[in-house]
Amino acid sequence: MATKEQLKGFYDTMVRVMLWENTLMRMVDEGKVSGFYHPGRGQEACPVGGVAAMGPEDYLMYSHRGCGYQIARGLSMTKIFGDFFSTTIGTTRGLGAGIVHHAAPELGILGQSGTIGGCFPIAAGAAFSAKYRETDQVCVCFFGDCTSNRGTFHESVNASAAWKLPVVWFCENNLYGVSSKFADMSGNPRIVDRAIGYGIPGVEVDGFDPEAVYEVTAEAIARARRGEGPTLIEAHTYRFRGHGYGDSQPYRTKEEVQEWMKKDPVPRLGARLIAEGLATQEELDAVHVRAQKEVDDAVEEALKAPFPPDERLFEDVYA
Amino acid sequence: MPREMTYAHAIGEAMAEEMERDPRVYLWGEDVGVYRGAMGVTAGLLERLGPKRIIDTPLSETFIAGAAVGAAITGLRPIAELMYSDFIMVAGDEVVNKAGKWRWMHGGLFTLPIVFRLPEGVAGGGGPEHGQSPEAFLWQAPGLKIVIPSTPADAKGLLKSAIRDDNPVCFFEHRGLYRTRGMIPDGEHLVPIGKADIRREGTDVTVVAWSLMVHRALEAAEELAKEGVSVEVVDPRGLRPLDLDAILTSLEKTGRLVFVHEAPKSGGPAAEIIALIAEQALDLLAAPIKRVTAPDTPIPMSIRMEPFYVPQTQQIVAAIKEALEG
Repeated sequence: MATKEQLKGFYDTMVRVMLWENTLMRMVDEGKVSGFYHPGRGQEACPVGGVAAMGPEDYLMYSHRGCGYQIARGLSMTKIFGDFFSTTIGTTRGLGAGIVHHAAPELGILGQSGTIGGCFPIAAGAAFSAKYRETDQVCVCFFGDCTSNRGTFHESVNASAAWKLPVVWFCENNLYGVSSKFADMSGNPRIVDRAIGYGIPGVEVDGFDPEAVYEVTAEAIARARRGEGPTLIEAHTYRFRGHGYGDSQPYRTKEEVQEWMKKDPVPRLGARLIAEGLATQEELDAVHVRAQKEVDDAVEEALKAPFPPDERLFEDVYA
Repeated sequence: MPREMTYAHAIGEAMAEEMERDPRVYLWGEDVGVYRGAMGVTAGLLERLGPKRIIDTPLSETFIAGAAVGAAITGLRPIAELMYSDFIMVAGDEVVNKAGKWRWMHGGLFTLPIVFRLPEGVAGGGGPEHGQSPEAFLWQAPGLKIVIPSTPADAKGLLKSAIRDDNPVCFFEHRGLYRTRGMIPDGEHLVPIGKADIRREGTDVTVVAWSLMVHRALEAAEELAKEGVSVEVVDPRGLRPLDLDAILTSLEKTGRLVFVHEAPKSGGPAAEIIALIAEQALDLLAAPIKRVTAPDTPIPMSIRMEPFYVPQTQQIVAAIKEALEG
């Protein structure tokens, strides 16, 4: 069970993630953004609830959908925007980063693989490292349904199960990989069933409910910390926007999207907070105003930073 | 006292010494523990260092390479053995795109002290998928160092340097050299990465060769010495960083150049070095450059056909003579 303060925190962070993305999307339209972006609108409960369950020393491999993981983990919006605008204030100090390559070692944010599914071996390796160094760190690896069809998934989940590595495999099943339906591309549409094959626990969760996501993730992390090995979580969710910029979405109907949008995690939690007397509408409105100001300030600061000299290209290729 | 030992033993000793020096160093790969590695290179390591440091992995190359990246960015110094260097194609994304670029892609926030141990080369029936020399593939992958020892002493000294390097190092070991013997200097023996070795001094023609081909080049030089031809043999001991200066210094002296490598000719490592020479020192050449390489075919599994595939001493002798006539 999440505390009342945590529930309010989930709402606050989901709104920040949502408004951050809305602003980024506008700037993509304006041509101010370099790199790819894959919107995460609709799926905020997964990164927000999942990351909230992590301890301060834990490792995060974020997914390619939205930047909710990084924001929830505490990476400043300014730095994230800086990466999208390729200014020196970004985590890459001006090389640019789109949906991947933001990193913050001090927050356990290990970066991300541009080739999708490259995250799995790296997450398993970080978990191995924690076990080898005899820390109690856990690595939480978020990924999408269709990414689980990479061979790297099999190799990494298998090894993590064989060695009881402290890792949580968190799949956000939004039904599609770009245009392909996961169910059409897989012999069994239930990802959670794969856990049986690896001899590890598999758990399903409502991916629109940050509290439920928080609870299953916290349990999986606790299990990993006790040395009992990995857990596969399948969160059922849906993305409200197209895969990326310019996706006209010929693979699904507007009606389908509208039906799923009724599950929008943000107003759903807002309504619950009001119903349970945890917040007033005015307070919720104030959350949006504060979040938008944070976003706007971050944009301004990130845009104010300079672009790096071209010679930046040659830095950091080697240590 | 300097000791004589095999190339394989020298590699094992380098790993053991570095693991005893630094608790962050460990080895993993397929059958590296009780089985002692596919070629016996890890013999004695499990007994000496224990199962925490000497780790048998599942048959999973993307895991072996990719999880080494995850371990490296969180504070360890993995030695990841791929049973054959050919398997680098299986783990290509992990080696090229993750190990090679993770630091750069993420703003220099991480270091990746990884050694990929890559047994290469034609050595008795391995054939098209267990005998390649894919170092040129990796030359197109910025961020990866490429090291190739040709003697037991270099194998030990370069591997120790590779393990201490904060960058990912692709360390090629020729399977045909594992049983060769040589003297290992006493005490802490480190060989700097990126520095060529003049394996034989000469004045008439420069032969650039590495790995097993160094030995064939030395045989050719010995044979030609009887005919009064003075051959210099330069072993760059790796490709990145490349000691181009050593090659150019030798070329200044001889004006004639022969390359020998076991990889196929097209797009092979010699091609890039020759391009650098063409850009920087064309005026040093008194004759056309010669290349002795494998043909542009897959490697035959037939041991009867292997000598036709791999450059032989007599081909090197012939190429040197052509370079002298040119």
